Amino acid sequence: MKKAYGALAALLLTTSLSSHAFADGETIAVFTKNQTNPYFQTVRVGSDAAAKAMKAKTLHYIPTKPDSIPEQLSQIEDVVVKKPSAIVFIPVDYKAMVPGVEKINDAKIPVVNVTDRSAGGKCVAFVGADDYSLGLETGRYLLKTLGGKGNFVIIEGVKGSLTSIDRVRGFNDALKENPGAKLLASQPGNYQRLQALQVMENLMQSNTQIDGVLAANDAMAIGAIEALDGANRKAQVIGVNGTKEAIDAIKSGKLLASGDYNGFMQGCLGMMIAIRSLRNEPVITEIVLKPTVIGKENYQPYDVPLESRTCPSWDEAAKLGTK
Amino acid sequence: MTDISKPITGGRMLFSDEMIQVFYRLLAAFLICAALTILTNSFFSLGNILNVLRQASLLFFIASGLTLVVLTGGLDLSIGANVAISACIAGTVIHQTGSPTLGVLTGIGVGGAVGMLNGVMVTALRIPSFIATYGMLWVLHGITYWYMGGETMHGFPAGFRQIGSGYFLGLPIPVYLLLVFLAIGTIFAQRTTWGQEIYAIGANPVAARLSGIPVARRLLLVYTVSGAMAGLASIIFLARLNSAEADIGESLTLPAIAAVLIGGTSLFGGLGTVFGTFVGALILTLVLNGMNLLSVNASWQPLVTGVIVILAVWLDMKTRRRAA
Repeated sequence: MKKAYGALAALLLTTSLSSHAFADGETIAVFTKNQTNPYFQTVRVGSDAAAKAMKAKTLHYIPTKPDSIPEQLSQIEDVVVKKPSAIVFIPVDYKAMVPGVEKINDAKIPVVNVTDRSAGGKCVAFVGADDYSLGLETGRYLLKTLGGKGNFVIIEGVKGSLTSIDRVRGFNDALKENPGAKLLASQPGNYQRLQALQVMENLMQSNTQIDGVLAANDAMAIGAIEALDGANRKAQVIGVNGTKEAIDAIKSGKLLASGDYNGFMQGCLGMMIAIRSLRNEPVITEIVLKPTVIGKENYQPYDVPLESRTCPSWDEAAKLGTK
Repeated sequence: MTDISKPITGGRMLFSDEMIQVFYRLLAAFLICAALTILTNSFFSLGNILNVLRQASLLFFIASGLTLVVLTGGLDLSIGANVAISACIAGTVIHQTGSPTLGVLTGIGVGGAVGMLNGVMVTALRIPSFIATYGMLWVLHGITYWYMGGETMHGFPAGFRQIGSGYFLGLPIPVYLLLVFLAIGTIFAQRTTWGQEIYAIGANPVAARLSGIPVARRLLLVYTVSGAMAGLASIIFLARLNSAEADIGESLTLPAIAAVLIGGTSLFGGLGTVFGTFVGALILTLVLNGMNLLSVNASWQPLVTGVIVILAVWLDMKTRRRAA
């Protein structure tokens, strides 16, 4: 019985807390896909930074099994009961998680959709980056460096994942713009470093001249570089995500460039919009960040620990709006 | 092809039977090689053969320790997660101390310690191995995710990286390690009393106990070896990829189990060889190598892998039945 009273008391306490949610101290639940991909870590740090600046609290929900659909669904069921003030939400799957978004809608908790655009449900806003133009711009950067010609290979991400499909489409279009560029092979590395290394080792067996490698994420790009190094061969390599590892590799001249998916900014903006909507301040309903290609000439601002980066002011953020 | 396994005379029945099985298993690998030699002009070269062997070595290290566990009728699902945690801790040690030797010892030590814990759960606590190592998988994932905090560790001393990417007399270092551990594994399993006791435990645990085999101690050994081999694999991984991250193990567990089973080791225990597992790892690696060389469309690769694995085992069983 004592336990039941305790639970009741806790329940009353949380309801009374959420009743004056318009002041500081809102709790924002942040949903990300996994604990293993450094990208989602940047989103979490970004959202924490924005929340801290606006004096709100964050609560992170991450599936223990990476990208698990059932686990994220059950986490939504939990969160609907706990009733945070708002939710910043990255669906593990943009289609499969629609019922989850609808559940949050039914519970009348405002939700800001980040990174992967949910195929349904009602969201206050969407903040993301465009994988296609990210692939296209990073690919163009590589082709410009190589004078628009040469032999190229693409290392794809997880087959069927939206990010990989769009990035690879961007890569292919960048290659098509240059008649002198020849695509030798487009093979899957599943976003895994080891697999990308092996794919690169194998492709070097059948192709004596490879000038450029387009990898759909940084881990695979670095894996390909290790394979090239191991065989004493040289090629210009690009990746996507702008991870710390990629910045270090750009600095040391091993990696040519990385398309910045801007997780930190996405985390900042998602959190800022969530809190502003709770405080009845104007928000932007759609922000699709323009692709930035990080190369030798502009890596410095990225070469700082994640924790010491700062979110933009709302005025700066407002300029990024696309709707 | 007959030069592969000269039947060893004077052995037990079990022994020569298994060598015959391995021979048929090799047939599938040779057929894949023959097909690739015809279909591509880059497959049959010394460079590519060494490349395939080097790629197969990592899978073999993980799968060879696992083979011993499967021979006893158990399973170790924690191997992939063990590779990840061993790599991350060994990587930290190398970064902190600058000593590759200390790093190698740490990697194998952590792997072995995890394996021993598995062994304790299976023997002293009598938890079925599937459950015990499945639980261990999540515990290790949890610790590794927390420890790495979504970061990647990279940049190791050039001397250390020689273990993964260096050459000696024209052969990659991992290939030497592969040959050494293949020999040790085969001799241990086939030629030592302990090895034969492991087969006996898998064939009939009750009879093994009644005939005086210290079952618990042998099981403890087998799980520890499986863990230590995962630790060794983590070192090769670190040295080859020059980096460690929390999720490196996930894509290694199932292929390792597949390599053991394709290699002819029975999930029910008592039947199989370490050499068979090597062939299994080789077949899986050849399939990937072949698809890359032939530039098979990414969408079709999982299907092709599945079909070839099933065909390889079917061919083996069919030829073996006919021979019998």
